[in-house]
Order: sequence, then structure tokens, then C-alpha cells
Amino acid sequence: MTNTMTTLRRSLVLSVASAVAVTCALTWTSRAAFAQEAPAIAAAATAEEKARVGKLIDDAKKEGELVYWDTVIQPETHDALAAAFRKAYGLAAAFKVTYNLQGTAALATRVEQELAAGKVTMDIASVASLPWMYERVQKGDVAQYASPAYAKYTKAFENGLGVDGYFAFNGAYIFVPMWNAQKLDFKGKSWKDVIGAVPEGRISVGDAGKSLTYLATYHGHAQVLDDAFFKALAGMKPSFLMRSEQIAQRLVTGEDLMAFSAMPTRAYQNNQKGAQLKFLLPEEGVVLLPQSMIILAKAPHPAAARLWIDFVLSEQGQDIIVKGEAMMSGRDGYKSPLPDYAPGIDTLKLVKVDWKGVSTEMLKDIRGAWAKIFAP
Amino acid sequence: MAHDKAKSAGVRIAQMTSPASAALGRFAQRGLPLSGVVIGILLIIGPFCATIVRSMLAWDASGPHVSLSNFVGILTSPHFYQAAGNTLICSASAALLSTGLGFALAWIVSRTDVPGRGWFEILNLVPFFLSPYVGAISWLYLAAPHSGILPNLVKDAFGITLDFLPVYGLPGVIGVLTLFYTPYVYLFVVAPLRQMDAALEDAARVHGATFWFTLRHITIPLLMPALLSGALIVFVTSAGLFDIPLALASPKGIRTMPTEVYGLVQFPSDLGRAAAFGVIVMTATVALAILQRRYLSRRRFDTVSGKGYRPRIVALRAGGRSAAVLVELIYITLGVVLPVVAILMVSLSGLWTGRFNPAALTLKNFDYVLFNYSLTQQAIWNSLALALVGATIGVAISFLQAYYIHRGTSRWRGLIDGILSVPLGIPGIILGLGYLILAIRTPLYSTLTIILIAYIARFFPMATRTISSMLLAINPELEQSARANGASWLQTMRYILLPLLLPAIIAAWLLLFVIFIRELGATILLYAQGTETISVALVLLSERSAGYVAALAVIQLVMLLAAFVLFRMTRASLVQS
Repeated sequence: MTNTMTTLRRSLVLSVASAVAVTCALTWTSRAAFAQEAPAIAAAATAEEKARVGKLIDDAKKEGELVYWDTVIQPETHDALAAAFRKAYGLAAAFKVTYNLQGTAALATRVEQELAAGKVTMDIASVASLPWMYERVQKGDVAQYASPAYAKYTKAFENGLGVDGYFAFNGAYIFVPMWNAQKLDFKGKSWKDVIGAVPEGRISVGDAGKSLTYLATYHGHAQVLDDAFFKALAGMKPSFLMRSEQIAQRLVTGEDLMAFSAMPTRAYQNNQKGAQLKFLLPEEGVVLLPQSMIILAKAPHPAAARLWIDFVLSEQGQDIIVKGEAMMSGRDGYKSPLPDYAPGIDTLKLVKVDWKGVSTEMLKDIRGAWAKIFAP
Repeated sequence: MAHDKAKSAGVRIAQMTSPASAALGRFAQRGLPLSGVVIGILLIIGPFCATIVRSMLAWDASGPHVSLSNFVGILTSPHFYQAAGNTLICSASAALLSTGLGFALAWIVSRTDVPGRGWFEILNLVPFFLSPYVGAISWLYLAAPHSGILPNLVKDAFGITLDFLPVYGLPGVIGVLTLFYTPYVYLFVVAPLRQMDAALEDAARVHGATFWFTLRHITIPLLMPALLSGALIVFVTSAGLFDIPLALASPKGIRTMPTEVYGLVQFPSDLGRAAAFGVIVMTATVALAILQRRYLSRRRFDTVSGKGYRPRIVALRAGGRSAAVLVELIYITLGVVLPVVAILMVSLSGLWTGRFNPAALTLKNFDYVLFNYSLTQQAIWNSLALALVGATIGVAISFLQAYYIHRGTSRWRGLIDGILSVPLGIPGIILGLGYLILAIRTPLYSTLTIILIAYIARFFPMATRTISSMLLAINPELEQSARANGASWLQTMRYILLPLLLPAIIAAWLLLFVIFIRELGATILLYAQGTETISVALVLLSERSAGYVAALAVIQLVMLLAAFVLFRMTRASLVQS
């Protein structure tokens, strides 16, 4: 009787153990199979890379979320990026990609405050302000990450538009003169042709007093344009605007006839809806503003952040950004699908700026010089 | 009759009273009102001290040290004087114009026989329930000199260009402030005007005084406390308002105090200077409030006497009646009808070009902000949560404070009342700055809770005043009667005082709800990822798309108007309180 009970007990234990083992094996196999099915893993060239991506995917799933702040990418483009990102890494729809669109100064302020508070909520900050980026790297606020995607950004690193192991730009933009062709027939070729092209008060200028990117652009412009030019521009009594969307909107409505510092991206987006915005690539050259992503050192979702960087810098990610935002890709050999709005960087005449040599303190001085001329 | 009711309630309640609950009642009677006062004082002192301390700290290589360099930096900067000067011009002009207009509107509905007074009385209050920021952007859509709906209409119809319209710049700021703050003065003035004994005015008339002489030498001086209180509220609120200058003055490079403080907090930020700026502004506004209290305390302003009287209704002549109706119609058109029509037009347009195209109507913008943009969805929930929870907590604290001040026995009640009124004089953005400095190294940083605390701290005095005004009208004998018949303090509160105060409590709750739904000044420095409110989302969207911002503005408008309808339905209108 006792033996029978013992045998029964053993059988029961064995059965339960087998069931657990089979369940575990099935779960593991299915997870592995599911992870292996992720296109990003399938596309990985080596077994090591497959393992690396697989591990990041597993960790990202545990993290469950990615938080990134951007200064340019519009929600529609973000939605497309997030959907493609989830698909590429086999992440469920429940995986949250939280995104926030802010001005450059507001984003930098938020990062500085979160670092000061010791409460970092964002994983990735995407900003077109190289001096600020370099300072963050120097101060150890940026996580080191050697994304395999960086291999395709050698030219960007060579030109000082990124730091290997920390960041490369995911899309660049420029600020150029823009007008509404329905309201103005402008044939200028130079920055200087803007002076007097429209009546006083009918032109807008990016507010370098509040925005980091307009400030950086002003610093670049000052390499090829003198004070007399800026004084003449100030004499046109411009409106000072913060956001490129707002600048384009005022051209569309006719409130302004000309914008001194407008983004071709916004021309593309408004023209899609029926506007007729045109812009000029001035012969003196343009200041390239590389929008770069950094992973914060204390990012709460580091694995998801790494996957995001890999994805956005991939050809697929660049396609979405260029088609949605008409930004210029820094990926080696990338052919722009929108050459009218986002020409290849090598086709542009660029104003050379030593971004590494510009510190926050210098930015304050540059802002002071700008304010002196424009006196807002 | 009321005494009998209190007595019978007391007898009924006394039968249920146990010694334990009596002890609890005794503790509650002293402790609860005091706790409301202590919470109020802490809510004020915290950010106040944080701002002062931060303003006196400077950093160098060796670390922080006490210094006045932030004040020196501010006071030697021409930007400070530009900003202060512009703010002074805007606030003083808005206070002056709102006071004039508010008085005129109140006089028309309370002392004249103008037709449609009942409707005007309701409509005059509607701008109070609208967001000033929405007002500012709707006036941009309406009157931007080269793209506004009105200039385009006039140009299309008559070929005349209206490019002189000064909507951008100080005149635009003053105009919008006046439109949206006139109800503040109106609310302060309309009740005293109704209750005013006409004997003095009649005596003046009998002695040959003209209408204008009587107005200037009798009516207005008697209304001075209400006019000054209204003007001060408009002055201080205008001085601290961030959103209207952001929309109308910043594009012209015009500095104002709130936009300057906001700029100082932005990267490369200088919190020390921002704090110094805040301390200077707080000192000025609090000094102004003290001056006003002193001025009023030295004079007598009896408008209600013990004699039986009836406010005299002035029978206007045909011309005067037409002029009064015209004033009302112009105000309601400029403050309500045109802004609402403008944001509806823009919200229903796919691409806003300055002209409304009925053939291209679309609901895309509403679809986007309601269903396809997580930020606006989150913002709507956050605003609702802040308004519901904040108004409830705020009213609870305010009730306890009002009870302490008007039913308590402490000899410090006058001083405490003064201290608890301080937030009325602190601009929202300065209070927000104080809470940012206070919370930045605590778990409260970047949470909804810190925004909630800032809202309550900034606006509880408004609820306290609303409840106080009714508490003063309730004879304490009713409570004493219940207590004499054995009811505990808690029971007296539950069965006697709270039911009597209910209209004022509901009015105060709705007042806070409306203010919290549209608040921006305190939020703009405190919001973070996921804690955006509707007003913050409006600012963020206004930089992106006219259609999206107009759609969200319509949604906010619906919420505020719903609160307004509720407000009227409770029969506890601000006028009555």
C-alpha cells in the first residue's frame, strides 16, 4: 500500500515536473522563434550581431517603453517610425514609444533639469545643436554606444558632425529664405537679395534670442555675412518667431511675404496640402544643422534606446524620416527620394563652422551680439 | 424659523451623540480649521522662501555662496527695465480699461431699464469662462493685419486694406487683456451697485447735481473698494499672464516680465536671475496689495444702510438706451461671438490661409487632437484630473480657512487673512518658478502632483473669498443654537453650516475648476513628459498648426462653457455670492 502511494506520488511529481519542463521549453522555443522571426535579427550579418540584437530585443521587451524627445520630427512621421520600429524588432503593439516634440532650448532645458534633479525620464534627446551635444558628451551625460549603423556614417564623423561611439546625425536641415509664390515673385539668388525684397514688417526671422538652432545658424551666417547685412535685415522690422512650422504658416496665410530663416521641410509639408512655398539656396552657402540623437547616460530604457538608434540610422529609418520630414540624410551613399526639398548634402555649398569650438558661454556672447543688432 | 430648524436639528442630533464623538468634535473644531490655515501658509511660504534663497545664491568654482549678484545682474540689465516697463503699461492700461468697461456693463445691467438686461447679465460673464490664450489666438486669426479674417473680408468687399491693425504688440495685448478681464471688475462691482442705497444719489440730484457729477462724486467713490479690488486683480493677473504676451508681443520682439522669466529658465538657463526677477515682482505686487488694503481700511464705504430702500433704476432716454445696448453688443461681439466664430472656422479648415472656405470643411483637426495625438489626449485627461481633484481639495482647504477667519477666536485672524491673500498678488509664472526651484531635487519634480499643489497654492484665496462672502451672511446664532442643543461641532457643520454654504461651495468649486482648466502661467515651468495640460498643449500646437490648435481650443471651450452652464444652474452665480 505504502509502495503504491510512493509510486503514485513519484508519478505525480514526475508528471508535474515534465509538464513544467515542456511548458518552459515551449515558451523558450516560441520566444526564441518569435525573436528570430524579427526582421532585424534575420537581417543581421553575423551570429554575434544576431545574438546582440536578440539580447537587446529581450531587454527592450522587459523595459516595455522608449521615451524620446525631438525638435523636428512631426507626430505623423513619428507614428510611421514607431510602427516600423516595432515591426523590425518584433515588438508587440503594447510596446510604448513615447515621443515629445519641443523647441531646442526647451528640450535642452528639460535635459539639464532632469540631470540636475537626478530624475531622468527620457532615453533619447534628438537635437540640432552640436555645441550642446559636445558638452553633454564631455560632461559624461551621454551613454557610449557603438551602433553598427555608425559604419555608414563615416563622412559625418570625418566632418565633425558626430562623435563615433556617441552620436551621428539622423537627418540634417537648413534655414533658408522662403516665400509664398502665390503672393510674391522673388528671383533672388543671394542672402543679400532678401534685403528690401518685401515691405517693412512683412518678413520673419528665427528668434535667436530664444532658440538654440537659430542662434547656431546666426553664428554660421556671421562667417559669410557682415554686421551691415544683419543691421539692414533688422531695419526691415521683422517678426521674431520660434518654430519653423509657425514661420511657414505665416507665409501660407500671407501674414509674412518672406521668411529669412525657413526650413525646406515645412515647404514640403505645406505644399503637400496645397500651398506654394518656394525657397532659395543662397550662393554664399547654407549652415547645416545636423539633428543628432544621444542616449542619456541614466536613460531608464537603455536597450530600447539602442535599438531605436540602430533603427533610425538604418536605410529604412532614413527613408521614413526623409520622406516624412524632407530632412537630409547623413548616411553614406544615401540617395534622397526628395531631391528638391532634401538635396544630398554633398550637393550643397556649406558654411564651415567649427562646432567643437563653440561653448555654452560663447553661445551667450553670440546671443548678446544678435540681440544688439536686432534689439528685440 | 431658521432658529427652530437649528434647534430641532440639534435635539435630533444630540440623541445620537456619544462622549467619544463629542471629544472628536472638540478636537475637530479647533484642529480642522487650523489645519486649513497651516496648509495655506505652507503652500505660500514654500515657494516664497525657495525663490528668495535661490535668488541670493551664486555659483563659482568653489561652489555656491550668498551673493546679491543676481539682483545686480537684473537691475543693471536694460532688458529688465524694458520688460518691467512693458508689463506696467499693459497691466495698468488693462486695469484702467477693464475697470471702466466693467463698471459701465455692471451699471447698465443693474441700474438701468435697458431691454434684455437678463441676457446681458449672463453674456457679460462668458469671457470670464474663456481661456485668455484662446482669446489671443482667436484675435490673431481675426485681426492679423495681412491675414486676419476681418481684414480679408474688408479687402474682398471694399478693396480697403487694414494693415494698420495693431493686434501684434502692446495695443493687441492690452485689447485682449481688457476683453477677457472686464468680467473680473464686473463681478466685483455689480453686487454693490445693486445693493447701493439710492438716497445719496437722489440727494445729489435734488440739489441740482447732473448725472455725470453724481456719478463722479457719489456713485464711483462709494464703489471704490469694489473698483479698486477689481482693478488690482486685473493689474496683478495681467502682469503675471504669460500666454497673451507670448502670442501677441513676442513675435514683435517685445519683452514682458512673464516672457522674460520664462526665457531665463530656458537653456542656457539662469535660475538665479529668474528667481531675483521673481522676488522683485513679488515684492512689488504684495506691496501694492498692502497699499490697497490700507487705503480702504482708512475710509468708510457704506453702500448698504439699515433703512428700507430700493436701488433706483434709471429710466434711460431713447438715445441713452441705444447707446447702452450698443456698448453691450460691442462687448459681447468682441469678447465672445467673434473669437468663437474664428476658432470654429480655423478648426474646420484643413489648411488655414486666412480665408474660410466652406467648400473645404473638414473634421480632420478634431480627429487628430481627439483620437490620433497622444499628447492632446493625455493633456485633456490631465486637465480634467487637475481641475476635478484640485478644485475639490482647494475648496476643502478654503472652507476651513474661511471658517477659521470668520468663526474662529484667534486675535491673529486679521493677519492670517492678509497672509492667506498673498497668492492673489503673486503672478502664476513666479509661483511656478518657486515650486520648480523647491521641487527640482525631490520626487515631486515633473509630476502632476507638483502642478496640482501649485494650482491650489495660487488660487485657493479666490475660493476662500467666495465661501467667506456667504459665511459672513450666515448668522452664527444658527450654529450656536445647534450647539446649545447638544450637537457636536462636526454635526453642526454637517447639518447646519455646510447645507447653508452649499451654493457658495459649489460656486467656489466651479470657479476653481474653470481656472484650473485654462491655467498656463504656473504650468509652463512645471510640466513634463506626460503631465502636459490643455493650455500647455495649446502653446505647443500653436507653434505647429493653426487647425490643430483651434480644434483643441474648441474642445477646451466646450468644457469651460459646460462649467458655465453648470454654474448658472446651481443658482449660485458669482453675482449672488
